[in-house]
Amino acid sequence: MADITDTNVHTTTSATTRRPKRIRWDHIGDHAVLIAGALLMLVPVYMVFATSSWDAITVHREGMQFGFGDQLVENYNAALLEYGGFTDSVNGLTMLGNSLILGLGFAIGKIIVGMMAAYAIVYFRLKFATLAFWMIFTTLLLPLEVRILPSYEVISWMNLGNTYTGLIVPLIASATATFFFRQFFRSIPEELIEAARIDGAGPVKFFIDILVPLSKTMIAAMFIIMFVFGWNQYLWPTLITTDESLFTLVRGIRQIVQSYADGSETPDYGQAAALAIIAMTPPVLIVVFFQNWFVKGLTESDK
Amino acid sequence: MTLKTTLSLGLAAGLMTGAAAQAQTEIEFWHAMGGQLGETVNQLVADFNASQGDYVLTPVFKGTYEETLTSAIAAFRAGEQPNIVQVFDAGAATVIGAQGATIPVQQLLSENGVEFDIEDYIAGVRYFYADSDGQMIGMPFNSSTPILYYNADALEAAGVEAPTTWEEFAETTGPALVEAGYIPLAQSHLPWIFTENFFSRHNLQFASNNNGYDGIDTEIMVNHPAIRAHFQALADWQEEGLFSWYGTGWGDNQNPFEAGEVAMWLGSSGSFGGIADRVEFNFSATMLPYWEAVTTEPTQTFIGGAALFAMSGFDAEENAATAAFFDYLDSVDAQVMWHTETGYVPITTAAYAAAGEQGHYDEFPAAEVGIQQLSLPAGDYTRGYRMGFYVQIRDVMNREYSRILTGEATVEEAFEIIETEANELLERFAQTQG
Amino acid sequence: MKRAAFGHIGFPILLLLPQLVIIAIFFYWPAAYAVQSSFYAQDMFGFTSTFVGLENYTRLAGATNYVNALNFTVIFTVLVTFFSLTIALLLAVKADKVIRGAKTYRTLLMWVYAIAPPVAGLIGVMLFDQSRGNLTQFLASFGYEFRLGVNYWDTASAMIAVSVWKQIPVNFIFFLSGLQAIPRSVREAALIDNRSGTSRFWDITFPLLAPTGFFLLIINITYSLFDTFGIIDTLVKSEPGNNPLTLVYRVYVDGFRGGDLGGSSAQSVVLMILVLILTIVQFRFLERRIHYT
Repeated sequence: MADITDTNVHTTTSATTRRPKRIRWDHIGDHAVLIAGALLMLVPVYMVFATSSWDAITVHREGMQFGFGDQLVENYNAALLEYGGFTDSVNGLTMLGNSLILGLGFAIGKIIVGMMAAYAIVYFRLKFATLAFWMIFTTLLLPLEVRILPSYEVISWMNLGNTYTGLIVPLIASATATFFFRQFFRSIPEELIEAARIDGAGPVKFFIDILVPLSKTMIAAMFIIMFVFGWNQYLWPTLITTDESLFTLVRGIRQIVQSYADGSETPDYGQAAALAIIAMTPPVLIVVFFQNWFVKGLTESDK
Repeated sequence: MTLKTTLSLGLAAGLMTGAAAQAQTEIEFWHAMGGQLGETVNQLVADFNASQGDYVLTPVFKGTYEETLTSAIAAFRAGEQPNIVQVFDAGAATVIGAQGATIPVQQLLSENGVEFDIEDYIAGVRYFYADSDGQMIGMPFNSSTPILYYNADALEAAGVEAPTTWEEFAETTGPALVEAGYIPLAQSHLPWIFTENFFSRHNLQFASNNNGYDGIDTEIMVNHPAIRAHFQALADWQEEGLFSWYGTGWGDNQNPFEAGEVAMWLGSSGSFGGIADRVEFNFSATMLPYWEAVTTEPTQTFIGGAALFAMSGFDAEENAATAAFFDYLDSVDAQVMWHTETGYVPITTAAYAAAGEQGHYDEFPAAEVGIQQLSLPAGDYTRGYRMGFYVQIRDVMNREYSRILTGEATVEEAFEIIETEANELLERFAQTQG
Repeated sequence: MKRAAFGHIGFPILLLLPQLVIIAIFFYWPAAYAVQSSFYAQDMFGFTSTFVGLENYTRLAGATNYVNALNFTVIFTVLVTFFSLTIALLLAVKADKVIRGAKTYRTLLMWVYAIAPPVAGLIGVMLFDQSRGNLTQFLASFGYEFRLGVNYWDTASAMIAVSVWKQIPVNFIFFLSGLQAIPRSVREAALIDNRSGTSRFWDITFPLLAPTGFFLLIINITYSLFDTFGIIDTLVKSEPGNNPLTLVYRVYVDGFRGGDLGGSSAQSVVLMILVLILTIVQFRFLERRIHYT
């Protein structure tokens, strides 16, 4: 169905404009900016990786490391495979699994709920569309920490403590996805819907056949952001779960580094850094996976 | 200890489930002990579970002290509270004030046939978590008290001994250490060490209503000439290079001591183990110095750290399980294990004696200092304090002390603000208590 | 609303229902509860509560440290939003433009977003640590003594730097997806009509990015206001002291940490009203200028 889209959007066609040319100074400037940006972003991450190969005492004395130590295997082994906790039911892999469920459930749930709501707000002649939008939008204005006690009570009444549903659904109560898709839908040309009407497409068909494919890049962006947001949740899961088999990676990291500030013991920096690197891997894989969706504008040939 | 502990934990858990799966009462314990401490808590609980067949206790790590307390309160409001929750010193007034939320530990133990004598506990431990009648409400768990650590090599190089009074520090120890190339002094917690325990060490009244124990309409009495003089001295010492302040963060002040730049550091008796792991110089500890100008008979300090509270709303069976755990926790074995593994002080005199017999203090003399200081003669105002919204009161102190030490405010101005704002907070707390 | 909209009634309501139900249960009910408790003095366990009218609000007006926090919040929000948006936009435009290594740059610039917030905070606090921080030592080699937790503006700069660092990848991802969503036809037409890269950007790309930009502006403001408290908490080691604090951190300190339900609820209501006014203003004045096709 992408062809409906393309015939309508791309009125001109020429396939040969952007071609690598000779070395030009502004190209070098572009690369310099990008390299500087990449370094700014990645040097700290590299240091976490280097630190994950050291023992706790060295890191405590000297701070984060640039070079590599000899504890790499030990730290990753401990972080990933060693069972911890009281019930011996959690290791890095279990926590990884829980974080994955939280991240996926949250991202998918939020995108579906948000796209549906944005579609209703933008594409239908609803009297209360503006009101609905503002009602949803307002949820951006009060963070979870402020309403955490009553939220907990709601979850308990519904008997959702220690469940994935209880972990995921309350986090979906925020406007980011709806707001974002509303912005995007509004920027899609009007002609599309007219063309769809002429073709006799109803709202469901229009949504699934036209809007969803058009929104691919946006969905990818949203998915990456929301997956990581869910993946990294800390406070809410800590509050509502008591079952160790539901612990997530971030909670594992917090448990190790909690004593950073008080100095009574030496936090296991190496192991925490190893867990941090492990915690980064799945989101990075998702970025790599969605990479192709982001470059579609350049590679997709016109039909 | 990780792998071995893990194995033995697994073994203990396996044995238990095999033995008597049906008749056991299961209870929950929420705590805020991360990292190694958390593993020691797990060990302690596993030992308890293995020691008897009727009860199974599950410990749950709930984040920081604040997160643990707020989780427990949220859970209580929803009827999902744990049987036992760990509450830190500054949060004690909130929990003790909410009568009906917890069962006093003394009452819980007596009702379940456990003999309880408050005299079994080390003097400085007894009354911090007690009510005005001296009934113990919360069971002291991870207890510590502020002491003075010193770099023995540095003191030797400077040819001085650790000071017992602040006068001695100002006149002899400090200047000699400066001469030897050290920053003489740092500390890690101005409200705890230089305020609350300053009042206790000099037996000065800290708040009306018997330091707040006897009533809710309490007023703070922090604006006392002795402590103003002390902070003036600190500001002067900072000027002269005798004292250095690295901000409100605990570790920021401890690190320069461990790095060998600062010769003496006031910290917690529980900091002992961490320092021993990390420093290469010889170190030891001594009691918190006092001002001879204020008193010639310095008194004991009291405990910081946290206590365990038994939450209400459970049947007799589960309360019996909680009592059994508290009873186990008081036992000499458990106390000695906890004390030697973590560096926190033992809470009973019997455990203190047993640790001594095992030669623990021959090996680590510094580990005994906190207990000795807690066992000093008591005074009228050495049991502790009971003030609501105390977390915020500490925040006000920290803010104003920072302003003194960065030169933004004079000592007089700062203490006036602390007094006013703390009393406002206390008044509002009284309001929340109906 | 689109001009050419569907006329159904039941179907869109069905589409809105899941979102509305979830926010009603998990947002409006708890939020209403927070508004209600701002008029009461109550103990945390919920045993007693006394109606105190507007007392929780009037007290805020008189508190100098509340006013200080308000001022700092404005500075902090403006700087964090500005730097994280401009740096990300610059990188996104360049990453969209280059051909060689495009994929690599994109992946590298995105993946920092995957870092967990407590780790980001820990990296910050370790880099800026007074005695062993790599950046502190680096600055010391220029003769500047950086004192996190002692010097007010040193602490503030560290907070801003870490918050910006954490947010750049989010903005980058959205800007890049916005750029990629610009139809090829438009780009090519622009390329033919307009030779200067700069004017092409301001005339064509920037207006087309405006819907995304507006979304990001709002998101970044709420990020600076609400989601940075974890970073702030780590950098000040959970001790407010005399450090720079944002309003949300104060809400957290007084409510979650200090157990003052009434006072912290009043603070969050004030905060909510301020942000609501700010966003309404933005919608009225900024969104009008955005050209949705």
